[in-house]
Amino acid sequence: MRIRPRFFIGVGLIALAISYLIFSSIRTTSEYYLTVTEVAARQSELGGQSIRVAGRVKPGNIGWDPNSLTLKFEIAPIPDIDASGAPVRPVVASDPVSFRVISAGEPKPDMFAPGRDVIVEGKLGPDGAIAATQVMTSCPSKYKPKQAQ
Amino acid sequence: MPQLGNLALAIALILAVYSIVANIYGTRRNAPDFVVSARHAIWAMCAMVTIAVVVLWTALLRSDFSLEYVAAYSSTTLPTVYKFTSLWGGQQGSLLFWTWLLSIFTSIAAFQNRRRNPEIAPYALAVLAGVAIFFLLMLNFVTRPFDLLATVPAEGSDLNPLLQNYWMAIHPPSLYTGYVSATVPFAFGAAALITGKLDDGWIRSTRRWAIFSWFFLTLGNMFGARWAYEVLGWGGYWAWDPVENAAFMPWLVMTAYLHSVMIQERKDMLKVWNLSLIGLAFGLTLFGTFITRSGVISSVHSFTQSGLGPYFLSFLITVTLAYTALLIFRSKQLRSPAEFESYLSREAAFLFNNLMLVGIAFAVFWGTIFPVLSEAVRGVKITVGPPFFNRVNGPLALGLVFLMGIGPLIAWRRTTTSNLVRSFAAPVAIGVATGIVAAAAGIRQWYVLTAFSLAAFVLGTVLVEFRRGMNARRHLVSEPRAKALVNLVAKNNRRYGGYIIHIGTIVAFVGIVGSSFFRTEVKKSVHAGESFTIGSYTLRFQGLEQTDTPHLESATALVEVLRPDGREITVMSPAKVFFKRPQQPATKVAIRSTPASDLYVVLAGIDDSGQTATFEVFLTPLVFWLWAGGLMMVLGTVVVMWPNVRERAAIATALSRQSTNARELADAAGGD
Repeated sequence: MRIRPRFFIGVGLIALAISYLIFSSIRTTSEYYLTVTEVAARQSELGGQSIRVAGRVKPGNIGWDPNSLTLKFEIAPIPDIDASGAPVRPVVASDPVSFRVISAGEPKPDMFAPGRDVIVEGKLGPDGAIAATQVMTSCPSKYKPKQAQ
Repeated sequence: MPQLGNLALAIALILAVYSIVANIYGTRRNAPDFVVSARHAIWAMCAMVTIAVVVLWTALLRSDFSLEYVAAYSSTTLPTVYKFTSLWGGQQGSLLFWTWLLSIFTSIAAFQNRRRNPEIAPYALAVLAGVAIFFLLMLNFVTRPFDLLATVPAEGSDLNPLLQNYWMAIHPPSLYTGYVSATVPFAFGAAALITGKLDDGWIRSTRRWAIFSWFFLTLGNMFGARWAYEVLGWGGYWAWDPVENAAFMPWLVMTAYLHSVMIQERKDMLKVWNLSLIGLAFGLTLFGTFITRSGVISSVHSFTQSGLGPYFLSFLITVTLAYTALLIFRSKQLRSPAEFESYLSREAAFLFNNLMLVGIAFAVFWGTIFPVLSEAVRGVKITVGPPFFNRVNGPLALGLVFLMGIGPLIAWRRTTTSNLVRSFAAPVAIGVATGIVAAAAGIRQWYVLTAFSLAAFVLGTVLVEFRRGMNARRHLVSEPRAKALVNLVAKNNRRYGGYIIHIGTIVAFVGIVGSSFFRTEVKKSVHAGESFTIGSYTLRFQGLEQTDTPHLESATALVEVLRPDGREITVMSPAKVFFKRPQQPATKVAIRSTPASDLYVVLAGIDDSGQTATFEVFLTPLVFWLWAGGLMMVLGTVVVMWPNVRERAAIATALSRQSTNARELADAAGGD
């Protein structure tokens, strides 16, 4: 009784179907995940594309209108971290590289504050502002002891 | 006191090393005294780790801020229960907690096997001790829980308010228990490979461990989802975040394993597959810890990015290479004489169910590490979000549900057409009828129609099985229906407990489909006295209540919920809370749950005058059934795990093949 090859066909077909599902879904759902610095470097090619940007909320110039649920702020690069795990310098209002973010129709996240790290999902407009569909604050599930001091 | 903790951890490390040496030497040189002393060393190691845990707990409860860990994760104002749970609130503590669980489980395995499995148990215990050594090395040298601060602060920085929640008190321990207990079947599988005792002895000896692990992985995932739902305030319960995926993947692989070992026990097939699955399950528990601790994959849950990543990766790679080498080394002995005979057989249904589960796990894995891969290959990070996971896993879930209906009813080896018709006529009719009713009720999405039909089909097959069993019983012994049902489940708890888990899974699946496709959302800013509607509900904002305590400040909105006829149903009170130390706002969601739908009200913002509030309201149909289904899965697992006289007899029979000593047999059968 040699039915085994038939099984390989069935197993192969399923494996193929799963691979196809993964492959095609990656193509249609992927978006660039960039830092603010990278967005600045590739600004010309990113217009109109869905992107995710990781950055830090720049102090000053933050606007929140609770009636229209519109949040406006600027996002700056996250500073490097030195060997001990502490940031090299804080984000300041005069950071040269930064992008304006406008989020409309979404409540302001609880953890949103100047100096917080956020992930912004949206599209980069021709004016250099990011129209955000979502603003996520990183949730510090664990505090870092050194920062806590 | 802290020195006591450090000392205990150092001794534990030495004992773990000793237990490996003594186990292997004793078995090789046929010196049972060494095997016995290795067992005692394991118990002593467990005692040492327990001392370390008690020391840390004592320090947390006494707010001893000279310890860096206590100062970082606790405070004098933290409620006592959360001082207790702070043990796993941070990295050092959670690794200590992990090691503690591992040493407890290793001790239990050593006790269970003190007379059983004389050939593979010493090696399995050596593997377990090897894993313990890795964690003890971390605790002794890399991430030390008992490090002291140079200057003692007057107050600690408190546990993150988001974690001060009862679901968060029980979610991590459940998940860790599930993760860590998967090490036991893995160790026995590895021991079977090392010794070449490749019959199903290692599976039988650790079947309970595997189910135990699955039980806690299920609980852990459910608790995590429930926490996200109640606390995070975005109306959902699952976001396909890397950290969630890390908990989900071992669950999928363990589910596949629990099914495929049945084929090995029954048909002596799939040996390599089972050994690979348990290896994969264990590897994924390490991988989960690696991605959450290394910062390689960015997650919304940004855990402390620490230097632990490389250690975990090295350990993971070492374990994977060693295990794969063993599999290849034994590959000749692992060939199975039996073959699949027909697509229309239970083993085929199980095989395809395994492919689906592992396929989902692979898709989740791929989506999780895709940003890292794309950065390595193309130099730019490309991420995939929930749409990717939903698109891939949606169809696979349908296939899985379909097989869930087929598997239990179809015969082993092969099935005749007449048999198929007899078994499946009624369930298919139920499924089709459900689809028609759903379509008539106005549901148009093909996915939802298929999902509901398949779910009804599976429930139909389970009902057929229960009816069959009850009739068979009533044919033999005359019993009333209810009694027949209870006896049926009690006497065949493995099988019918499994069906209860299937029912729970289907119920949860219906909850997931309903809540994903039919959720509606309204965002609105209103003045006190104004109202707005969602679905058939009218919500009237009555006003804000403000409170101020030393620990927190809060604003609670009173929202009256009215039915279309104007009758008040209830008053809901979503709130915004501002914790004073650390200064952090949090949202308290108000949920009104009914079997039909959940009304989920978030106070998204208030203006300074206190007269205007912004609400985000979700109406989520059927989400109730996700939790109900989870509860049924848990109950079903308890039924499966319930000690069963017949199973003890089966273990005794299995053991008699390995050993001829009658006294050992009696002990093993009685001591399980």
